[in-house]
Amino acid sequence: MRVGFELLDLARAAGASSIFVVGTGRDVGKTTALRAIYDAARGAGLSTAIASLNPEHRLWLYPQTAFVTARNALPSFPAAEILDFTRLQSPTGRLLYARTASSGRYELVGPPTASGVREIVAELSRFSEAVIVDGAVDRVAALAGSNGAIVVAAGAASAKTMQEAVDEVAALVTRLSVPRADPHAPAIEIQGALTSAQAVALLAAGERRQIVVRDPTQIALSGNAATGALGRLAVRCLRPLRVIAATVASISPERAFEPRAFARAVADSTGLPTFDVYAGTRAA
Amino acid sequence: MRALDLLDASSADVLGFEWLCNAVAPVSPYGERLFSELVPFQPGSESSAEARARKVAATAAELGEERIDGVRAVLRAMPDAASAIARASMGDVLDDPSFLELRRFCAAIERIDGLVSPSSRGVPIANDGVRVLDEALAIAGNDERSFYLADAFDADLQIARERLAREQAELDASRGRESARAAQQLGRDEIAGSEFIVMRAELPGPLPAGVRVVREAPTYLLCALEYGEATLAALARRDEAATAVAQAEARVRAQLSATVRERAAELGAAAAALAELDVLLAAARFSQRYECAPASVPAEPVLAFEKARFLPLAGELEVAGRRFVPLDIDLHDTAVLTGPNMGGKSVSLQTCGFVALCVAFGLPVPAIGARVGLFDHVAWLGLGREAQIGGLLSSFAREVLELRAILARRAPRLLIFVDEFARTTTPHEGRALLVALLARLRQRGACGMVATHLAGIASVAGTRHFAVRGLRDMPARPQTAEIPAALAALAQAMDYTIEEVHGDEAPRADAVALTALLGIDDDFVEAAYRALAQ
Repeated sequence: MRVGFELLDLARAAGASSIFVVGTGRDVGKTTALRAIYDAARGAGLSTAIASLNPEHRLWLYPQTAFVTARNALPSFPAAEILDFTRLQSPTGRLLYARTASSGRYELVGPPTASGVREIVAELSRFSEAVIVDGAVDRVAALAGSNGAIVVAAGAASAKTMQEAVDEVAALVTRLSVPRADPHAPAIEIQGALTSAQAVALLAAGERRQIVVRDPTQIALSGNAATGALGRLAVRCLRPLRVIAATVASISPERAFEPRAFARAVADSTGLPTFDVYAGTRAA
Repeated sequence: MRALDLLDASSADVLGFEWLCNAVAPVSPYGERLFSELVPFQPGSESSAEARARKVAATAAELGEERIDGVRAVLRAMPDAASAIARASMGDVLDDPSFLELRRFCAAIERIDGLVSPSSRGVPIANDGVRVLDEALAIAGNDERSFYLADAFDADLQIARERLAREQAELDASRGRESARAAQQLGRDEIAGSEFIVMRAELPGPLPAGVRVVREAPTYLLCALEYGEATLAALARRDEAATAVAQAEARVRAQLSATVRERAAELGAAAAALAELDVLLAAARFSQRYECAPASVPAEPVLAFEKARFLPLAGELEVAGRRFVPLDIDLHDTAVLTGPNMGGKSVSLQTCGFVALCVAFGLPVPAIGARVGLFDHVAWLGLGREAQIGGLLSSFAREVLELRAILARRAPRLLIFVDEFARTTTPHEGRALLVALLARLRQRGACGMVATHLAGIASVAGTRHFAVRGLRDMPARPQTAEIPAALAALAQAMDYTIEEVHGDEAPRADAVALTALLGIDDDFVEAAYRALAQ
């Protein structure tokens, strides 16, 4: 099983040219999943671009990879081709687009806003066939309404028990997978975020109409509250996201889950193709 | 543009100084720096001020809107290479983003010269320094929008990179062989990433050589690949090759930086020329957009124009579907301006001040012709100054203090606009204060205009008297109670022409008519007319 190729194939089958890898928390194998997709894209001969929304993310890049970094984070060696400057600023200087000429370790620096993320993904798509983003859940709105796809990473590092980790990723996937609103059906449009208090009030009122938010990131519910509310309310969005797969990391410095059982439980609860990048397996 | 002593903040606000700054603002960082340092022409530099405005007007006429917009688009997109030039001139070695900025700087200059030079205005900005640097940086590749420290910069760099590529390929191959061997022994397709899981139950025997256990769990092992001897040797060779490339790249950057340093004076001159062009074109575009004309600038304190407009208001009126009625004024001393409410007295004063500001900064004026001197202070007193709420002073006291400040200023060439000063005291005393003010201004040789509703000032003060003609006839009350409709009806009925009158004409009763137009009920208005007749 070559997990990176499987993930890449899923994205391409969905018609996605950009892939966001987001996690349920820190150290849940996000970078490992991204690395696997990147290696696969390179193996498939695709021109590839990489961006990270996390601060100071160093990554080994192959030649001819487009990437985003800050002016002051660009290494003097190995020299990279500078493609363009952005208007976006970061604490380490103005962001710019570059392309590696030789392999090496490069620091990726991301934009500070969702609109900035949208801008860089669009621009990187001009240079590359596959854009892979080490994402963050709160910035994933940049993908809403686009042809981008999302891979959700879950891991032992973000929860005390396996069940807790499974519930967490299931809630996140449910939230991100909210379907597009039906324009012909009755609806209540929520301006801004759908909060727990609003959800409780709507449930108490026995609301049957569509509850429409701008995009899934506007659903400010998490964990069991999200699963419960999204199960009983017809929450819909104007700009949907596409979650195509999940990955699991059963190891963490503090605890370890049984890998096969964890992957299977995540697959069952999310309904997504689920991969263990560390074991090189797909949940049966 | 900096007003310095020409204007205080409140006067600048009333006279539309910020609007003017925005209207003539350049678009490049080079122009912005120069623009931020621009100061008004002082009395004594009339010929320079006039020459500057004529140059702006000639540029506007010669280049045309399309060409100016084209050049400004190039200027707007230019990166700021000034910092790179400065750092190189001090001996710094520049980084690659700086070389890209310089490359775009050179390319933009070439494009601008191409757009401007066909005209007689077109003194080329490119100089030998720009050409030499452009040529040096062109080795980076054909796409002038990007920069790469290409092999072609230096033969040694190319050799070092080729060696690095070979060593990296050997390292990758060696690691690949070790990884594939371990994967095969573990019965899996590949080993992805630096760490991987091996299920204890699926382990056929001991771990393959080169696989290290990082952590153990009950059902699996977290493992990592260790480099074998062959890979470690390849790694050492790769690192050595990488060091050689890093040194070669540093050498090329130092050589390019030396070129920038040697040509820094010429590059700086080109940047200065760009700044001047940007500021000039911004003014020229302003002149085109608002159909301006250069004023003649005599040595004496005079303010005379034909068909002038106060552009900030003209823009607002245009948005509302109305038109600014241009004004003619000939002022060479102090004068009184009277007229009905909403007859444009304040706007007349603002138009005078705005035209004077344009001339002070060497700009063509929004008029078909003008003759305007230079002043070392332009002051506004009375209505329109920024309101100050609260405090211990009444509005009258505040105005008096403002007048005191104006009179205390050492300004041999004063231009002053007074809008209904002393309107909040008794008409008797207000009149006396205005007469005294006019006498003081005349004594100081000031040029200015005093707008008032009080009658009899001009003859007592011995000054000229201008008046707004006022309502041609009573405006019809509009069908709706909406203010824009009332204002449109008023504009139709009002004759905003200013003309010099002799003696003190009787004040008009247009204020009562205006209350009717603005929606006050008929009984109220009739009562006012009856009171007026008594």
